Amino acid sequence: MSLWRFVLRRIFQVGISFFIILSLLFFLLRLSPGDPYSKYIDSDMTAQEIELIRTQMGLDKPLWWQYLIYLANFVKGDMGISFYYGKPVGEVIRGKVLNTILLFTTSVIFSALVGIFLGRIAAWRHGSFVDSFLTFSSLVTHTLFLPWLGLLLIWLFGYKFELFPLSSMYTPEIWIDPEISFIRKLFDVLHHMFLPFLTLFLLHFGSYLLLMRNTMIGVLREDYILTAKAKGLKDKDIINKHAVPNASLPVITSVGLSLAFSINGGALTETVFSWPGLGRELVVAVSQNDYPLAQAAFLLIAIVVLVANVLVDLLYAYLDPRIRYE
Amino acid sequence: MNELPKEGKGPIKEAWELFKESSLGKIGLLILCLFALMALFSFVPPLIDPMYHPMKGVDPSISVSSPPSLRHWLGTDFMGRDILSQLLAGARVAFLVGISSAFMSIILGTFLGMIAGYWGRVIDTILMRLADIIMVLPTLLVILVLAALFKGLSIWSIVIIIAIFRWPGVSRVIRAQTLSLKNRPFVEAAKAVGAGHMRILFRHLLPNVVPLAFLYMTFRVTSAIVIEAALAFLGFGDPTTVSWGMMLQWVWKTGHMFKAPYWLLPPGICISLITLSFYMIGRAMEQVLDPRLRRDWEG
Repeated sequence: MSLWRFVLRRIFQVGISFFIILSLLFFLLRLSPGDPYSKYIDSDMTAQEIELIRTQMGLDKPLWWQYLIYLANFVKGDMGISFYYGKPVGEVIRGKVLNTILLFTTSVIFSALVGIFLGRIAAWRHGSFVDSFLTFSSLVTHTLFLPWLGLLLIWLFGYKFELFPLSSMYTPEIWIDPEISFIRKLFDVLHHMFLPFLTLFLLHFGSYLLLMRNTMIGVLREDYILTAKAKGLKDKDIINKHAVPNASLPVITSVGLSLAFSINGGALTETVFSWPGLGRELVVAVSQNDYPLAQAAFLLIAIVVLVANVLVDLLYAYLDPRIRYE
Repeated sequence: MNELPKEGKGPIKEAWELFKESSLGKIGLLILCLFALMALFSFVPPLIDPMYHPMKGVDPSISVSSPPSLRHWLGTDFMGRDILSQLLAGARVAFLVGISSAFMSIILGTFLGMIAGYWGRVIDTILMRLADIIMVLPTLLVILVLAALFKGLSIWSIVIIIAIFRWPGVSRVIRAQTLSLKNRPFVEAAKAVGAGHMRILFRHLLPNVVPLAFLYMTFRVTSAIVIEAALAFLGFGDPTTVSWGMMLQWVWKTGHMFKAPYWLLPPGICISLITLSFYMIGRAMEQVLDPRLRRDWEG
């Protein structure tokens, strides 16, 4: 199978998955005990007024017709009006997607790179003090309770030492002022981003480290490593050219598999640090019973996860040609 | 599990011997025993004095959060409730949520995995596609949306929902195992003597996949505890139970996180430590089942 056919097949599969998620969400929303549209209905409204609202909302139509309208609206990008903001949901959410992707991708990529790098060291020094130290500390950081770690970091670095801001993504005064240079504004965002990034990083690098270490120990026992040694290659070349590329493959797969886990963590981190992203928006929308907003935020998160999954698969197919011929 | 063959006792003993060799596993088990003790002692404080009731007990002389004292070893929360008794009650909730939810998801995963592996074809495709979709979804956020739709989830509905969303990982492994088992001679033999599908599934295949399923249970326990804690932390827990996540939510929402480290630290340490202990036990069990890793750990 060529790379292109592999790509197309994956995109097709992901499309079907998304369609199923979209449909399930619709039926769940209609099956739930509380009427999602009861927010629009006051107790002192007349029966006719209620009927009018129901007609406007399309609730008098049969279920399958409502479902088709829902699909059509989704394709058009019309996800309804947020109860809380009173604005179209698309407008509310548009700005949040990039914020989430910014925080999420930097922390996932960085923790995977550091995990691979340190896992390599642990595997090479297998059984040494360095190895035990790295293994144990990544076990501990990986099992920390994320919101608590976030609160702890805010308390320590934000409140006690006053090194970093306590919450949010930027200082409004700096961003409003046209005099201040863009570099300074960028630095402001990075300054705000450090603690949430650190939280996600601390929680995630451990699993990559452990996986990299275990696969690399396996790889180091392979015959081709022995051959490389017999050829008289330097240790550095054996690790970097023969062991690491092969051992990295499972780590990349696991990046894909752990994306859902990271997104959970992302939403918690965004909430704790008031980072204006999709995850926080979802949590806030859910607590305010803002169904259209919650629905849209959830679907967008699903899209982010699915697209990221495809990207990881593509990277994998690119790095390991065998996968394309399966 | 009573379907396990009699001679199954040997391997279990052997596994225990191997498990004991892993210091990681032993430490994990020790920590877990401490938490079990905490859960057991959670019934004691309310018996001493009703003011030590984790939910309803309020110290009449204190109505704000106070630092540790002789009366309240870990201090009190914003209503004057004893933090230590809340912490003990939280251990009980963690075990209840973790173990029951993990148990359910293991049963569901084993059952669906066996069916997919045994029957193959359409059933297999449908189940595994479904598993793929569920695996991609962030469980916590799905449950969050469900919590919004079905307002005020009780602790048991949370347990069941977590179980429903955590079966795919197990079922994939069990499916692979079933695939490799179903063409073995003992299954052929069972078919030849006229055993039905149900009998083959439950009497011949099940005992062979159960140990593998239980390995996965430890990891499911941790994820269930963490999801419940996170849900409670975000304010969607069962309002009638005191879980560690709930305690953290109270610290956070009442704005005590900078003022009351004695209240912020214990619940977080407990959640992290119980997760760590199950994780360590899981890794030690992995070494028991996978000899390659075992050699690694001995160095």
